[in-house]
Amino acid sequence: MRKPLVNALRWLVFAAAVVILNFPVIATLVTSLKSEAEIMTNASLMIEAPTLDNYAAVFAMADRFDILHFLMNSLVASLIGSVLAIALAFPAAYAMARFGVGRSWLLPLAVNLRAVPLIIFAIPIYLMYQQVGLLDTRFGLALILCLVNVPLVLVLFASSIADLPLEIEEAGRVDGAGTLRLLAYVVAPMSLNVVAASSVLAFIYSWNEFLFGLMLTTNNATPVSVGASFFFAASGGGVRWGVAAAVMILATLPPLALGLLMYRQIGRSMTAGAVKG
Amino acid sequence: MPRTSRFEGRLLIAPLTAFLIALLGFPLVLDIIYSVSRVGFENIRAPEPIGFSNYAKAVADPEFWAAAWFSLRFGLIVAVIQVVAGLMLAVFLAPLFAKRPWLIALLMLPMMVAPALVGLMYRLILHEFVGAVPYYLLEWYGDFPAFLGRDWAFTTLVTVETLQWTPFALLILHSSYAAISPDIREAAALDGARGRRLFVNIDLPLMLPALGLTFFIRFIDSFRVFDNLYTLVGPGAGGSTTSMSIYIYQAFFKVGDIGLAVAASMLLLAASFVVLWAINGLTARKAPL
Repeated sequence: MRKPLVNALRWLVFAAAVVILNFPVIATLVTSLKSEAEIMTNASLMIEAPTLDNYAAVFAMADRFDILHFLMNSLVASLIGSVLAIALAFPAAYAMARFGVGRSWLLPLAVNLRAVPLIIFAIPIYLMYQQVGLLDTRFGLALILCLVNVPLVLVLFASSIADLPLEIEEAGRVDGAGTLRLLAYVVAPMSLNVVAASSVLAFIYSWNEFLFGLMLTTNNATPVSVGASFFFAASGGGVRWGVAAAVMILATLPPLALGLLMYRQIGRSMTAGAVKG
Repeated sequence: MPRTSRFEGRLLIAPLTAFLIALLGFPLVLDIIYSVSRVGFENIRAPEPIGFSNYAKAVADPEFWAAAWFSLRFGLIVAVIQVVAGLMLAVFLAPLFAKRPWLIALLMLPMMVAPALVGLMYRLILHEFVGAVPYYLLEWYGDFPAFLGRDWAFTTLVTVETLQWTPFALLILHSSYAAISPDIREAAALDGARGRRLFVNIDLPLMLPALGLTFFIRFIDSFRVFDNLYTLVGPGAGGSTTSMSIYIYQAFFKVGDIGLAVAASMLLLAASFVVLWAINGLTARKAPL
């Protein structure tokens, strides 16, 4: 008798949680689909006359603020940052798991690094970048995104490689394969799951990074997490809320889509990253 | 392992080590040097040693302590609320997730949005004329507070941070709750434990490590809060919402006091070490259980 009632309550709580937790995105999406005039007169979540004008307006102001340029900066820097983090962490994790090299200091360093506010390193990095000409470059930003991602990726790889069966590698050794060959043809293929999962998470974290994007770029390499706020001041006087909302939705869409498609891998990586760290 | 494999191992960690030395080690050395120097953009390559006066200046600055207090209070409050809310949701909704695992994806979505963008979104949502929240509060209660004013800014920020990151607590605690073996619950049920007693005496103790872990991760993340705070209020609300990260950022970019900013960074680093040391101590003691 009571069971269906409790179950209904569960669904109710679930639905409420979905709406409340996702409210910022929902409300912004709704605003982005209203006309400029309607936004001023109707602040509710109901849309009287849905329109895509705001999105058209965003792309129409490309001569002053180029959303595609910001999105491209985020895409390029995030891709380089994630791939580089994996390329650096994968062999290191293998060396730790199989040879015990660096396990006593590199892993604890990486784990603890996640707990250290990175702003501590932001100022000297800014000054370094200024000297070597990396300020406001996509590559300079990518290096930092890699730094942000390395701890998580290293922890995920270290635990997953340790779980791989040793026999296959030993068989490869007997057949005369060197370490690099083993890494490329045996360990890497067996780790594809973890590579995929951690690269998705690394990409999302990179895309969403803000502090270093704010400090290390001014215009050329500005990521969309920083560039989005430029549109708030785009029209000089008051904020064009429709345009601002459309920009925020465009900037949020890529990680949101990835999150929906790969939620299982992301969830597993987040959990493993938290527990193993 | 023979000597060659140790050598190979060193080769394999060399790229990562070099990278960390360049982007972490070198900046740390610069941090230390600049923190005991008189330094500005004009003598960035030739800082002039002045002892510990930058540290003295930071420690004597009431705003430094206000920022430290803000971060600490913010981190603690947010972490507690998130763990409690995440736990309640994880346990209450567990039967739904067990049948339809994809449901949890909808609750994970807030974590996919950049905190900086979430801050910007709330600028729209809380806006007195065009925002949905004031609109409905006005509709239902006839009034709404100044969300970003001095009295309400802290509460607003706590809410914003909590709503975005409770999903993390939910995710970790859900997987820990789901990992409890049904055998244990059955055995306890045979012994007559059910409902709340089962939860308090069996589930909660088993989830304790996960609860502690979640709390620490959320505390650390919220302690260093920058993005959403910067985009939503900046240093606004009369400086009452300046976190440690914002303080350092402003000392550097707004005031241009490199020495002060760097000294504050080093103090923050020292504070992080204390926290880490405490966490490692606690988890090491728990490990044998």
